[in-house]
Amino acid sequence: MSLDRRCVLMPTLSSADLALPAGAWRAALLSSTARRIFAVLTATALSIGLAHAQDRRKDQDAAPPGDAALLKKLEQMEQRLRVLESQLKQRDARAIEAAHGQASPSTNPPANAKPAKDRNDAEEPTQPKQPKEQKGLVGAIKPDWATPAARDLTGKTAPVNPPNSIIGLTDSPVTGMSIGAYGEMKFGLQQNPAAGGQWQNGFDAHRLVLLPTYLITPNIIFNAEIEFEHGGSGFDPDDKLHGTAEIEQIWIDFKIMDQFNWRAPGIDLIPIGYINEHHEPTAFYSVQRPELYNGLIPSTWKAPATSVYGRLAEGVYYTIQASSSLEDFGGDFATRTDAKTVPTGGYAAGIDGANALGFALPVRGDFQQLSNDIAVAGQLSYSPPVLPGFNGSVSAYYTPNTTPRGAYADSGAPLGRSSLTMFDAEFRYRVPNTGFEARGEYVFVSLGNPANLRANNDSDPTNNVGKTMYGYSGELAYHLPLGNILSSDWEVVPFYRYTFQSAQTGGFAGTDLNMPTGAGQTQFHNVGVAVFPSPQIVLKATWQKVINRDPAGANSDSVLGGVGFFF
Amino acid sequence: MTTSWVRLTLPAAVVASVSPSYAVQYLTIDAAQKLAFPSANRFMENGGLTWKAQAGDRLLGLFVVDHVIGKHLYIDYAVALDPTGRVMRVEILQYRESYGGEVREPGWLAQFVGKSSSSPLKVGSDIRNISGATLSSLHVAEGVKRILATYGSRTR
Repeated sequence: MSLDRRCVLMPTLSSADLALPAGAWRAALLSSTARRIFAVLTATALSIGLAHAQDRRKDQDAAPPGDAALLKKLEQMEQRLRVLESQLKQRDARAIEAAHGQASPSTNPPANAKPAKDRNDAEEPTQPKQPKEQKGLVGAIKPDWATPAARDLTGKTAPVNPPNSIIGLTDSPVTGMSIGAYGEMKFGLQQNPAAGGQWQNGFDAHRLVLLPTYLITPNIIFNAEIEFEHGGSGFDPDDKLHGTAEIEQIWIDFKIMDQFNWRAPGIDLIPIGYINEHHEPTAFYSVQRPELYNGLIPSTWKAPATSVYGRLAEGVYYTIQASSSLEDFGGDFATRTDAKTVPTGGYAAGIDGANALGFALPVRGDFQQLSNDIAVAGQLSYSPPVLPGFNGSVSAYYTPNTTPRGAYADSGAPLGRSSLTMFDAEFRYRVPNTGFEARGEYVFVSLGNPANLRANNDSDPTNNVGKTMYGYSGELAYHLPLGNILSSDWEVVPFYRYTFQSAQTGGFAGTDLNMPTGAGQTQFHNVGVAVFPSPQIVLKATWQKVINRDPAGANSDSVLGGVGFFF
Repeated sequence: MTTSWVRLTLPAAVVASVSPSYAVQYLTIDAAQKLAFPSANRFMENGGLTWKAQAGDRLLGLFVVDHVIGKHLYIDYAVALDPTGRVMRVEILQYRESYGGEVREPGWLAQFVGKSSSSPLKVGSDIRNISGATLSSLHVAEGVKRILATYGSRTR
C-alpha cells in the first residue's frame, strides 16, 4: 500500500552531502510524481552547489555570491521539501480516510475549501508561531502564515476540472468538460384572450436547457445550449407533447487576445439588449421574460452567426456579428418548397402588428433558409468606472432584406425587398451599498419598405405594420437580504416594471385594407417578488396587468408563479 | 506607399499600445508578485501556493494564489496581503470562459483593497455585483473571503 513508500524520507541536507552524486538520490524516489519533485529539487540543489563551487566568479544569475547565501538557499530548499512532505502526508491520510468511507462530502464547488478552512481553525486557534523566517516581523499581531493551508493546491496551473462539474452532481470524466443547466417552470392563472378573457389555470414546464462547455485547448472553448421547451416533443397522442427539442447555441470561441476574439460560425445569440444574451431565469425578476423581449426583440433570438468580440478599454466591451437575416415568413416550416421559396396558396407573415418580430426568426437547420441575406449586428457594453454599479449597452442590427424568395401579395403581385434596422439602448443600475436597482430600456425598429411586407398584403386588415415599431420599459427593484436559511443566504427582491410597446404605427403601405384594432399599442404593468434561496435558484410570483387600445380589451392579465434555476 | 501603410496600421497600433494585449493567461505568478510587491527582492515559498514577500529581512506581506469557478471553468487569481492580514491587491491570473470576464476590471478588483478577515465580503452589500458576471463575481468574492479567513490576522 501507499504507506510503505512513505518510509523513504529525505534526510536533512548539509554541506557535507554535496560530494555525493545526484544519481543516488534520484533512483530511490522515482515511484511517483511527487517523489520526482523531491528528486528534481535535490538534484537542482546539488547541481547548483557543485557548479557554484567550481565557477564562483562566473555566476551572474539570481543566486547571490558567497557560501552563506548558498547555505541559506539550501535551507529554503529544505523548508520546501518539508512542506511538500506534509502535503503528501495529508493527501495520503485523506486517501486512507476515503478508502475507509470517512470522506467528507463535497457540496457546491465554491464551498469546497470551507471544510479545510474550518479544520485549520479548529486545530490551531491560538498557537503563537515562531518560524525562523519571521525574525523581521514587528508588532504584537502575528498572522499565522507559517501554517500551510490544508487545501490541496497542486502546481502552478490549477486542475481544469472543477469538482462536481456535471450538473453539480458528479465529477467530469473528461478533463476540461463541464455541463451546466438552467430551466424554468411556470404556473398560475391567466386570462385567455381567445376565450373572451376567461381566467384559466395552467402549468408550463417552459424550458430545460443543458449547457455543455469544453476547454478544447486553453484558448479554444466549445459551448452549446441544448433546449427542451414546453415539456419536450413527441408524436404519440398519449404523450401530449407539442414542445421543442432544439439547439439554441453551438459555437467554438478562439480566444486570441483581450481586444480581439473570434467566434467561429455556429448558432449564436444576436447581441441586442441585455436579456437576449442573459436570459436565464435568475437574470430577471418577473415570471415571464421582460415584454420587450417577446416580440420587438424576439428572444431567445438566435441565428446562424459568426462574430468577433473583445474588450476595448476598462469597462468597454464590443461585439460585431454577421448572421442569417430575419425572414418575413411565419408559416409552418414544412410548407417551405424544395426550391426554398414560400408556398403557393397563401402564407403567414413573419413580421406583423400583433406579434412584431416574434415569428421572423431565421432557420437554423438543413439549409432551409429562404433568402441569401446576411445581417450585421453590433453591441457596445459599458460599465463606467466613474459610476460603479452602472452597466449599460447600446446595440444595433441591420439586415438589407427580410423578404423571402417568391414572396407575393394575396393580389398576386410579387413583394420586393424590405430592409430592417433595429436599435436598442438599455441600462441596469445597482446603487452601491444599498438594495436599490433600476433598469431601463428603449427599442426602436425601422422597416425599410412596409409595402413589401407580407402582413400588409395578406388580406388581414388588423395585423398591418407601419414604418416603425418601438417600445420602452422602466423597472425598480429592491434587494432585501433574508439571512441564513437552510445553509444558504436568502434574498428577496420585490419589483415593479412598466412597459409600453407599439407594433403598429403610422406609415402603412400595401394592398390590404388598414383597420388596426388598437391591439398593437400595449401597456404592461408587472408587480411581483423574486426570492433567491441562492444566486442559482429563484422562486417568483408576478401579477401582470395588460392594457391596450383594443375596444374589446387586452384580456391578458395573469397571476403567475415560477421556479427557475441556473448552475 | 510607406505613408499609406502607416495610415492603415496606425489605428490598430494605437489600440494595441493603449491597452496591453493578453491571451487567456493574463498574468504569470511572477509578474503578479512583482505588481503586488514592487519593492520585494525575495519571495519565499511558504506552503501551498503562498509566498512571503520580503525586502531583505523585512516582511512585506503574503502572496496567495488560488482558483475558483466562474460559471463552469476555473479562474486563477492571486491575493496580496499586508503584514496585518489586510488585502493589498487582487489580480486575476487566468480567465478561461467566454463570458463574465468583467471580474478582471481594475475598478471591481479595487473593492477588495483594505478588506480584512472581519469584512463581510458579500456581493450585493460591500462588494458590487456585476450583472452578466454574477457567478464569477460571487465566487471570486467568496475566494478572497476564504483566503482572508485562512491567512488574515486574528484579533485577540
